[in-house]
Amino acid sequence: MDALALALADSRFPGGGHVHSGGLEEVVARGRLTSERDLPLFLSGRLRGAGELAAVFAAAAAHAAARSVHNGHWTMLDAELDARTPSPAQRAASRAQGRGTARAARAAWPSPVLDGLVAATPRPHHPVILGALAGLGRNLPLDAARVAAYLAVSGPASAAVRLLGLDPLAVNAAVVALAPAIEVVAARAARLAGTDPRTLPAPGSPALDLLAEAHARQHEKEVRLFAS
Amino acid sequence: MRAHARLSAALDVATGRTVLRELHSMAPLTLFPRRGGTGAHVYLVNAATTPLGGDELALTVRVGPGARLRLSGVAATLALPGPHGEASSATFDVEVGEGGCLDYLPEPTVVTARARHTALLRADLAADARFRARETLVLGREGERPGQLTTSTRITRSGTALLHQDLVVGDPVLDASAAYLAGRRVLATEVLVGGADPPAAVGGDWWALTPLAAGGALATALAGDAVTAASDLDRARAHHPGWARV
Repeated sequence: MDALALALADSRFPGGGHVHSGGLEEVVARGRLTSERDLPLFLSGRLRGAGELAAVFAAAAAHAAARSVHNGHWTMLDAELDARTPSPAQRAASRAQGRGTARAARAAWPSPVLDGLVAATPRPHHPVILGALAGLGRNLPLDAARVAAYLAVSGPASAAVRLLGLDPLAVNAAVVALAPAIEVVAARAARLAGTDPRTLPAPGSPALDLLAEAHARQHEKEVRLFAS
Repeated sequence: MRAHARLSAALDVATGRTVLRELHSMAPLTLFPRRGGTGAHVYLVNAATTPLGGDELALTVRVGPGARLRLSGVAATLALPGPHGEASSATFDVEVGEGGCLDYLPEPTVVTARARHTALLRADLAADARFRARETLVLGREGERPGQLTTSTRITRSGTALLHQDLVVGDPVLDASAAYLAGRRVLATEVLVGGADPPAAVGGDWWALTPLAAGGALATALAGDAVTAASDLDRARAHHPGWARV
């Protein structure tokens, strides 16, 4: 894993990820997450649903970027990830972060592959642009999957600190405790990185999808801290 | 036990009725046609002890251009463990032609203790086909710790992926996590393809009807029991402009 992958995983990366809580704000609003003790179970479930899906597509995109695929490949990855994201609120959150990441990337990673990806998919899904950038930096699909899986839990964890004022040390410990599970998810994703996008796994997240839709409805009525 | 049942429905142009060109049951999968109406209606009856660990079941359904078929269950399916912990699988392959319509409405699947079952639904739809498929997964009988069930849904229309979703029930972490099943015992989904799609998502705390990116819609409900889940799906479908009145 190189410094470019570290930049992508950094919470200070200016891709707009800080305005998304990954469903955590809605869970907190419903009173289902009130303390540090509730966090590990939420994050574990998130990692193995939405996190695994993100890891699968990040690994596939890293594999593709390293081989300078034709633009049609990006369109296909985009369509396949769309089909695996039944919630419009989740699709919107992914594309918002993808577009923010693309904007930051064009200043930092100028490359014909990135131009091709953005030309084919102007509002790319976050895991696809994330994986492609990691791949441009010559990271392995495993590294891209690791970053995607890590972000799937680190973002919501920091949202918990901001929303509930949880102890940052305990929250960080909860994220670090997931490291072995992140490795398992990333390794599974990396093994499939070179396969036909149509056959990639499609791990669902039923409750997260419902939470995302509920959050989007509430967000229209009252001001929420996070966009999703 | 291995079994492959086949069903094929076609439009009889002379009468405007749907006729069953092929109706091939294979124990433990039994297909019972019901008479009456212009569309065809077939009941899918599983033997009481199916799927049992070790079973490999397959059902292939073809609905020809303009034909209408309703395939429904009669009783809940119990996924049961094999004597030596073997896994079981059920594969449902569907093709619906131009102007065809298939309603697939099985009763709930209950994942009993120590069962390990995999269910795959593959549907290939023509551009203007109508397709409705309900899936209700129940985590064990009353007071029972569930076994594990993995389902895969793969819906394509004219070669375009509409919905690809894999779900797992019976994993203690995922069952309890607010990010996955949120401690609810029943996960129910209904795919609705054809007709006008809903312009936007609608929903309540634990149910939603969401338009899919490339067309079609998915209703999802997480509930404490199968009756509530079914009424949540009905409520979701009532918001669907193409499916509210069926």
